[in-house]
Amino acid sequence: MMRGYFWIIVITLLIAATPLLTSSNTFFNFTVVVLIIALAAQGWNLLGGIGGQTSFGHAMFFGIGAYTASMLQTHLGVNAWIALIAAIAAGSLAGLIVGFLSFRAGLRGSYFALVTLAFAELLRVLANASEWTGGASGLLLKLEPSLANMQFSSRPTFMLLALAFVFISLVITQHIVNSRFGAHLVAVRENEDAAKALGVDVLTVKLKAISLSGAMTAAAGVLYVQYFLYIDAAIAFGIWISIEALLAPMVGGRGRVLGPLIGAFTLHGLGEITKSFAGRVPGIDLMVFAVVLIIVIAFASAGILGLLKKLSDRFAAKGGA
Amino acid sequence: MKVYETAFHRRTILKGGAAAALATIAAPAVVRGAEPAPIKVGILQPVTGALAQDGEYGRLGAEMAIADINAAGGIKSLGGAKLEMVFGDARSTPEAGTQEVERMQEEGVVAIVGGFASPICLAGSQAAARYDLPYIVDVGVTDQIITRGLKNTFRFAPGFSLCTGAAIQNLVKINESAGKAAKTVALVHEDGLFGSGLAKLMATELPKHGFEILELIAVPTPSRDLSNVVLKLRSLRPDLIIPSTYYGETVLLARTMQQQRVRPKGVYSVLNGAASNHRFVKEFPEAAGNIMDCNHWFDPRNEKALAVQKRVEATGKPFNYNTPLNYSCIGLLADAIERAGAADRVKIIEALGTSTFSDHLMPYGPTKFENGQNMGAAPVSTQVQDGAIKVVFPEDFANAKPKFPANG
Repeated sequence: MMRGYFWIIVITLLIAATPLLTSSNTFFNFTVVVLIIALAAQGWNLLGGIGGQTSFGHAMFFGIGAYTASMLQTHLGVNAWIALIAAIAAGSLAGLIVGFLSFRAGLRGSYFALVTLAFAELLRVLANASEWTGGASGLLLKLEPSLANMQFSSRPTFMLLALAFVFISLVITQHIVNSRFGAHLVAVRENEDAAKALGVDVLTVKLKAISLSGAMTAAAGVLYVQYFLYIDAAIAFGIWISIEALLAPMVGGRGRVLGPLIGAFTLHGLGEITKSFAGRVPGIDLMVFAVVLIIVIAFASAGILGLLKKLSDRFAAKGGA
Repeated sequence: MKVYETAFHRRTILKGGAAAALATIAAPAVVRGAEPAPIKVGILQPVTGALAQDGEYGRLGAEMAIADINAAGGIKSLGGAKLEMVFGDARSTPEAGTQEVERMQEEGVVAIVGGFASPICLAGSQAAARYDLPYIVDVGVTDQIITRGLKNTFRFAPGFSLCTGAAIQNLVKINESAGKAAKTVALVHEDGLFGSGLAKLMATELPKHGFEILELIAVPTPSRDLSNVVLKLRSLRPDLIIPSTYYGETVLLARTMQQQRVRPKGVYSVLNGAASNHRFVKEFPEAAGNIMDCNHWFDPRNEKALAVQKRVEATGKPFNYNTPLNYSCIGLLADAIERAGAADRVKIIEALGTSTFSDHLMPYGPTKFENGQNMGAAPVSTQVQDGAIKVVFPEDFANAKPKFPANG
C-alpha cells in the first residue's frame, strides 16, 4: 500500500530538485507545460483510466477552469487564489452536471465519449461568441507578478507551484485507488452490471469520479492561464487539450496513478530532445511524438508502466523458476 | 548588463552535466576571430500546424532581409557585424511560441521578430519581456498586443483599430469618387468576435456616410455551404457586399456568388485574408475578380519592394504580405541596432522607440512608435484585377484605379 506513495514522493522530489541542477529557463518552461498537461491528464485518468469512462472532451473542464479564473479576475477583480478555488469548484460542478445528464441516460463507451466532445465543442462556440469571455480575441490577464496574483517572475517558482498541484492530484488518486471508492470504480470499469448486482451504486460512483476529474482538469486550466496570462476559445476548449489529456495516460499507463505524469514527460520530452539534436527541421518533434504513440499502441497497450510491470513480472517468474 | 547575465546562464547550463540534452539546445560558443561577433536575431514563425503557410512566407521575408543586410556589409556601427538568424518554430500555438522564445533567449539573441498570429505574439512578447528582450510583432493585429504596457514590444504593422478606421475611410472615398455608386450594403460576417465586431462597427459607421444597411448575415466558421446566404443576397440586391469572414468562407461565398450569378457593384472585405491572397486569385481567378480588400500590402511603387517581389516569384513562391512585412521588420531592427551602436537590449529598445525608419517595403512612411504601435502604419485597399492583386487606394501608393462599380 505504501509503495504507491513512495514513488510519488520520489518523483516529486526529483522534479523539485531540478532548480539545484540547472538554471535553464527553457527547461523550466518545458516542465511547467508538461506538468500542466499531466495535471489535466490526471483528471482524465481518474475518470477514464480508473473508472473506465472514456472522455473525449476534457477540454470542457480545462476551459471552464481557465475561463472562470480569468473572468473572475478581469471582470470582478477577484483575488487569484480565490478565483482558483472558484474555478476548481466550477470544474467539479460542470462534471456533476455533464455526468448527471449522460450517466443517468445510461451513456457508456463511445456514446459517452461523443457527448463529452459535444459539450466541449458547444462551450468553445459559446466562448467564441460571448462578450464576457472576450469572444474570439480572448481574455488577457494583466502581467503583475506577485504572490497574491499567482504570477511569478521566476520560472522555477511557477514550476514548483505546478508540481505541488500535480503532487496533490497524485496523492488524491493514490488514496482513491487504495480506498473502497476506488474498488467500486474499478468494478464499474470492469463490469458495470456485475458491480450493480453486487450492490455498488453505479451512478453515484461515476458522479463522484467525474466531479473529481473535472476539478483536477479545471485546476490545470487555471495554471495554464496563470502562466501564459492569455486564453481564447480555441486554446481553452480546443480539441488539443482533450487529446493531450487522453494521450498522456494512454502512453504512460492507463489507470495507473503515475501514468499521466510519465506519459506526458515521455511524449513531450522525447520530442524536445529530438528537436535539440535534429536541429532546425520543422516538425521533427511531432514525428517523434507520432512514432512514440504508434510504438506504445502497437507493443505496449497498457502503457509504459504496464510494460515495465509485465517485464518485471516475467523476470520475477523466470528468477523464481 | 543583461547580456552578461545571459552568457552566464548559458555557461552554467553547459556545466550542468545533468542537463546534457539541454546543453545541446544552447548554442555553441561564439567563434571569435578577426571578424566582429555575429549578432543573433530570433525569428519566430509558425511553420508547422494550422498557420504553417503564413509562417513560411514570414520566414522567407526575414531570411532574405538578413541575407541582404549582411551582403551590404552588416551593422556598420559595430564594425560590420553580421546578423545571424536563430529560427524558432511556434507550431501555431502560444505554448510552443513561448518555449521557442525561452530557447532563443538562452542562445543569446538580441531581439525577436515575428509571431504572426495574435495569441503567439501575445505570449511570445510577454515571455521576452522578462528579459528586456525587444520583440517586434510582424502581423498580430489584436489591439491587446500594444495595450499591456510592455516596453519591449513594438508593432510595425497597423493593428485592428487602425485597419478598420482606414477601411471605412477608404471605402467612403472610393465610393465618392465613383459618384456614390453604392448606396445599399449587406454585411456577411462570421459569428465570432472578429466578424461580428467588425460588422457591428460597419453597421454603425457606414450610415453616417450615407450608406443604407440592408442586412447583417451571420455565418458560422467553418461553413460548408453558403447557398442560402447567397439566395438571400440575391433577393436583397445590395449594391455592396462586405464580407468579414475568414479565408475559407470568403472563397466559398465568392464562388457561390459566381455560380448563382449574384453580381453586386462591389465586394469590399476588411482584413480578410482571401482577397489579398495569391492562392485564391490563382485557384479561382473568376470568382476572385474585382474583389476589394483592406489589408496589409507592400508598396507597389517602391523599387526595392518590386525587386524583392521579383526575387521571391523567381523561386516559384507567391509574394504575400507576410514576406515584405517581415523583410521590413528586420530592416527596422537592423536600423535600431545600427543607431544603438551596441548589441545591447536596453539600447536597442531605446533606439526602436525613437525610430524614424523609412527604408522599408510597406506603404507607411517613416516609423513613429507610440506605446509600441507604429502610428505611421496603415493598411491599403487592394483589388483583384486581371488575375493580379493591385493597390487601388490610397492614391499615393496605388498601381491601379479602382474598378468600381465592378459590374455595369
